[in-house]
Amino acid sequence: MKDNGKFFVGLGGVALVVTYLIWTGVSETMVYYLTPVELMARAAQDPTFHDVGVKVSGRVERGSWNRAEDELLHHFTVVDLLDESVRFPVEYRDMLPDTFNDTENVDVVVEGRFREDGVFEATIVLAKCGSRYEATAEELLG
Amino acid sequence: MILLGEFALWIALPVGIWGAIAGFVGGRKERGDLVLSAEHSVYAVFFLLILTSAGIITAFLTDSFEYWYVANYSNRDLPTFYKVAGLWAGQRGSLVFWALLLSFFSSAAVFTNRTKNREFMPYVVGVLLSISSFFLVVLLFADVNPFERLPFAPADGRGLNPQLQNYWMTIHPPTLYLGFTAFTIPFAFAMAALLSGKLDTRWLVITRRWILLSWFFLANGIIFGMRWAYEMLGWGGFWFWDPVENASLLPWLTATAFLHSIQIQENRGMLKVWNMGLVTLTFLLTIFATFLTRSGLIESVHTFAENTTIAFIFLAFMGVMAGFSALLITWRYPLLKSENQIQSFLSRESAFLFNNLILLGAAFSILWGTLFPLITEGLTGQAIAVGPPFFNRVNLPIGLALMALMGIGPVIAWRRASRRNLVKNFLMPVIVGSMVVGGLFLRGVHHGMALLTFGLSAFVMTIIIVEFVKGTKARAHIEGEGYLLAFYHLVSRNRRRWGGYIVHVGVVMIFTAFAGVAFNREVVQTVDPGETITIESPFGHEYALTYQGLSSPRGQNMVRQAVALMTVERNGRPVESLTAEKVLYFKWEQSPLTIVGINSYVLEDLYLILENVNDLGGAFENEAGAQRATFKVQVNVLVGWIWYGGFVVTLGGIIAMWPSRGSTKTASRPKTKTGGERPALAARS
Repeated sequence: MKDNGKFFVGLGGVALVVTYLIWTGVSETMVYYLTPVELMARAAQDPTFHDVGVKVSGRVERGSWNRAEDELLHHFTVVDLLDESVRFPVEYRDMLPDTFNDTENVDVVVEGRFREDGVFEATIVLAKCGSRYEATAEELLG
Repeated sequence: MILLGEFALWIALPVGIWGAIAGFVGGRKERGDLVLSAEHSVYAVFFLLILTSAGIITAFLTDSFEYWYVANYSNRDLPTFYKVAGLWAGQRGSLVFWALLLSFFSSAAVFTNRTKNREFMPYVVGVLLSISSFFLVVLLFADVNPFERLPFAPADGRGLNPQLQNYWMTIHPPTLYLGFTAFTIPFAFAMAALLSGKLDTRWLVITRRWILLSWFFLANGIIFGMRWAYEMLGWGGFWFWDPVENASLLPWLTATAFLHSIQIQENRGMLKVWNMGLVTLTFLLTIFATFLTRSGLIESVHTFAENTTIAFIFLAFMGVMAGFSALLITWRYPLLKSENQIQSFLSRESAFLFNNLILLGAAFSILWGTLFPLITEGLTGQAIAVGPPFFNRVNLPIGLALMALMGIGPVIAWRRASRRNLVKNFLMPVIVGSMVVGGLFLRGVHHGMALLTFGLSAFVMTIIIVEFVKGTKARAHIEGEGYLLAFYHLVSRNRRRWGGYIVHVGVVMIFTAFAGVAFNREVVQTVDPGETITIESPFGHEYALTYQGLSSPRGQNMVRQAVALMTVERNGRPVESLTAEKVLYFKWEQSPLTIVGINSYVLEDLYLILENVNDLGGAFENEAGAQRATFKVQVNVLVGWIWYGGFVVTLGGIIAMWPSRGSTKTASRPKTKTGGERPALAARS
């Protein structure tokens, strides 16, 4: 019986360790997931918001992308999916995914930091060509 | 043929429903005629779904763009290869494909059990056909009918997403689907055992090979996906903790736990409720994977178009299945009492239990991280996400603990390990592991987690090798056989055990490869033809890549491609050249596809990405001035060991599943209670 007790202490220990790992993992790596409208509101309200990690989903503005000559540095503008007047510039220093372009209303998720100068410094860019996945009958006709 | 396929889909539903009812009623009332009819329904549904699938493939092959599904996923010039793969390229077809594989496995299960295990079969058939019918209802009534027609026939289709135009497209999704659907069989037998009240270990013995089969396909499917990502996505990685990747990993983790915990039930008569829970959980997670891919609830590179109707239908289905199973387990609880108790902390059952708990912990953390945006949004209105850093942080220690258990579990004694047992089995492996850590440290490897991983690998490998050597020697001595023959007999007489060890070797190789990521190097540089990029490997040698320029050949279904050629020298000695490409596909002119070049060596890969061509349009026209390009060059350390490990896992899995004919009595370790080693089911695939 003594061993059985020890055993359950062990099991409880495992559960505790996993919980601890998840807890600290979440608190140290979490990012707010926002729309551009929400991002602007939060940043205006609370200046410290420029220092925390955020993930923002929006759309790549048509014709906004350019790449620095001879340097792996991309610039583009993200607009809100619903309110097109809300937008912010993005700076990204890595390879863009193949699905990224600025001609087809690409949905994009950028993760990084919204700097105080109003530029979003992205560390991750995910792009999905939403309209490209499946088309309605009308789109197929056109 | 296409019309016949559509017709078959409509017929399959009533047949499936009839069979499900006949199965349940026949089982309850012990009506043999009903049971037989239910079993015939299983075959009939399989046959009908073959017709349906053939109909869809015919529609693709004949360019029948009046069908919405074909118009969206194909075009005239698409290679035939990918037209056939159109069956699983999109949501609608993939649901048919799922149902097809499920009905195939169902038929195999019914066929192999046509003369045995008869008391289970009515319920097995009932459960299987209920699940098939669910998929058929979704296909016919949830606005995802693959035979939906457009009011007109477009001149050409929209083409297949270029990212899917890769040979892995024909291998990776089907393999994963085979794994997902095969697990329905153990679930059905578990439910049948609960319904019939025959709750000895028989259902486990019957389904053992099915569990292994499903596990085997899931493992391969996941590894194929990693390889695809590594070759295709151009990011130099193999795993991104994408929600759908996670969703495929979850049932694999719980199935792995299940494979181990059933051994405790077979040998010690414990954990019966736990196993019922695990089989249900794993089944639900296979459905969860489809749910996540289809619902569009979570952002992922894998998701099909959003379809909230489907999301809710699947959610409801998972709820019903979970409730059904929970109810049955509660009802049969008195029959699921444990026959034994854990006697010692230091015992094999204890090691296996820890393994289970840790695997479930990993699964839980991954599920939690994946659903975290949904959970936080639901609770606080503010979505919070976690990404790769979270998953890596949590799962690294978990992975290391699993590795340690992989060494301990198989050799520690059942019930209670004596001091002698511990010293005898673990002294040498611990010494070898420590020596590896010390040796690497002296050679300049100072990354703590990586050192720990390499040390644990050496520990586990030593244990397994010692086991093989001891077993072979003992057999050679007792039977008077040569070592080679003794080795062969050793493995073939207890395939499950030794196959399992080989799988462990493969998994250790894969884990070791993960640690290699810590040593990766990369260089980004823009060059003109004639210029050279150099990169140093962490192993000390240097690669020099000299850019030879771009060329622009044409391929099938591609509009244009720009191929960059690099000659490569390793420490000044020429080795194989590399090419890296940008390809524009017909119908997808806005998004060039990046194709990487890889030189694989035993300990590292040289990985070349054409990041950007300054004047891509000019390059496509073979203009001499348009050659300046930016490259990303990486040295990816140990990455090949993932694929080597994958082969070893496959080999071990096949050995463990191989149907054994002769005697299986010569287990080299005395067992307290064996469940009988004869295979009840031969896996057919």
